[in-house]
Amino acid sequence: MFTYIMQGTRVFVSSAVLAKRALFSWLNPALWAMQLFFMSLFQMAFFVYIVKFAGGEDIGIAFVAVGNAIASVAYVAIFSVCNITGEEKQGGTLTPLLATPANRMAMFVGRAMFQVLNGIATVFIALFYAWAVFGVDFSMTNWPALIMVVVLTSLTTVGFGLMLSSFGLYLRTSMVIANIFLFIGLLFSGVNFPVTYLPDYLQPLAYIFPLTYGTEAAREAVSGTGLIGMADLLIAQMIVGTIALLIGYLIFKLFEDLSRRLGTMDKF
Amino acid sequence: MPRVRAVTASFRHQFLHFLADPQWLIPNVILPFVITMVALIMFESVQEGEGNFVLYAVLGGGMMSMWGNTLYSSGWSIAFDRWNGTLEEVLATPSGLVWIIMGRSLWNALIGILNGVLILVIAVVFFEVDLELAYPILFFFAFFMTLLSLSALGMLFSSAFVLTRQAGVLTNGLEYPIYIGTGCMFPIALLPFWTNPLSLSLGPTWGIDAIRFGALEGYEGFGIGYWGDIGIMFMISIAYLAAAFYLFGVVERRAREDANFARH
Repeated sequence: MFTYIMQGTRVFVSSAVLAKRALFSWLNPALWAMQLFFMSLFQMAFFVYIVKFAGGEDIGIAFVAVGNAIASVAYVAIFSVCNITGEEKQGGTLTPLLATPANRMAMFVGRAMFQVLNGIATVFIALFYAWAVFGVDFSMTNWPALIMVVVLTSLTTVGFGLMLSSFGLYLRTSMVIANIFLFIGLLFSGVNFPVTYLPDYLQPLAYIFPLTYGTEAAREAVSGTGLIGMADLLIAQMIVGTIALLIGYLIFKLFEDLSRRLGTMDKF
Repeated sequence: MPRVRAVTASFRHQFLHFLADPQWLIPNVILPFVITMVALIMFESVQEGEGNFVLYAVLGGGMMSMWGNTLYSSGWSIAFDRWNGTLEEVLATPSGLVWIIMGRSLWNALIGILNGVLILVIAVVFFEVDLELAYPILFFFAFFMTLLSLSALGMLFSSAFVLTRQAGVLTNGLEYPIYIGTGCMFPIALLPFWTNPLSLSLGPTWGIDAIRFGALEGYEGFGIGYWGDIGIMFMISIAYLAAAFYLFGVVERRAREDANFARH
């Protein structure tokens, strides 16, 4: 049992380290920095100007800016993570990778770990823009609660991204599904308007996304609510994120077995 | 004639690519589709579906959809060649790369029209938006001209994609800035004053203004009238094309000198 855990930990750590190295051997750091510093700004600005134009009462600039700041995690936690299996397939490294006896959960969760940190940094930079550029008032903010929300949102959204990534093992490319779920959160997760604005039959869908809990909890933290006051949201978010990760693992195993049986692992 | 043949062959090739793998339509339209839905819900909650706000959302969504398709396609057409190992062959042909990209851009423009119309149809059917066009012919002409302007802008950007293997990052990064800069869902007067020259240097900014002229009765826009908008957009688009031709020549020569076409 001890050996099993140690092996899993070793795989996890080496996957996390390799993923970071691989990212920067492929991606120009300047482009990564551009993504980190500017994408959230433009997304936030776009929706803030829509609100300014529409001039609503329920949905103010702070509502939209904070929502988009939290949603900026999706670029790294969903898009990048979802593409993990697809990129292995595209790069021709999927077969050798799955020929190893390494624990799949440790391997792929490890691969996504850098994106958790990346996601946390992205959200805090976006929150800075919300304050500095769009004048959102953070004077009442409960910072320990907000930090916890950001960390948890990044972790659970990465879990959700890993679930989507498992479909990449079966599909010709994971990029299509990554694109769909990258943006669908803007519609379902209460980023730009409360979930209650959705038609009744669509509202339950909102709660399968960890981001929905994250945006709501972040707004509460900004208005001064502490960890205890938002415990129900954070617990629900953790449960949804964990379920997504477990479903992802099961789907991954299912497709791995299927592709071994049919000899279609690299087919795309 | 060889250039025309290169354009038509690459147009046909892009069409066959699309038939072989039509799922790539989804990434092109998903963001504009989602944004249009978000904006419609936001505007409806404020205005209860009345006024120009909803039309701004729908018309802006149509334009965004065309831009999403153009940008994605121009960015990825080179990246796919790089991935599939066909970039060197494409560049080794006697036809200039710019003509091959032009053929692909024309196919993408055609799909872009469908994307734009799809957004309008969804808005009318599912959101029951009253899309009563004041001047339908002028509207569709402006729609078409805006698409050509977006394609010219896409060609300009795609010259840069020859040099980089990170087209995906650039593609994702260029979507929102153009949405904001062109004021496709709100008047650019809301933007900080210093950004106005940037906005006005974008052909589609004038295009969306012309589209609104065609759709809304009594619309004043930038104050130079419908044909003024179209004229300026046309001139800017010609400038984009001229710059694209020049840049394609430069990057193609540089890529040959550096011998790093397929490096990725």
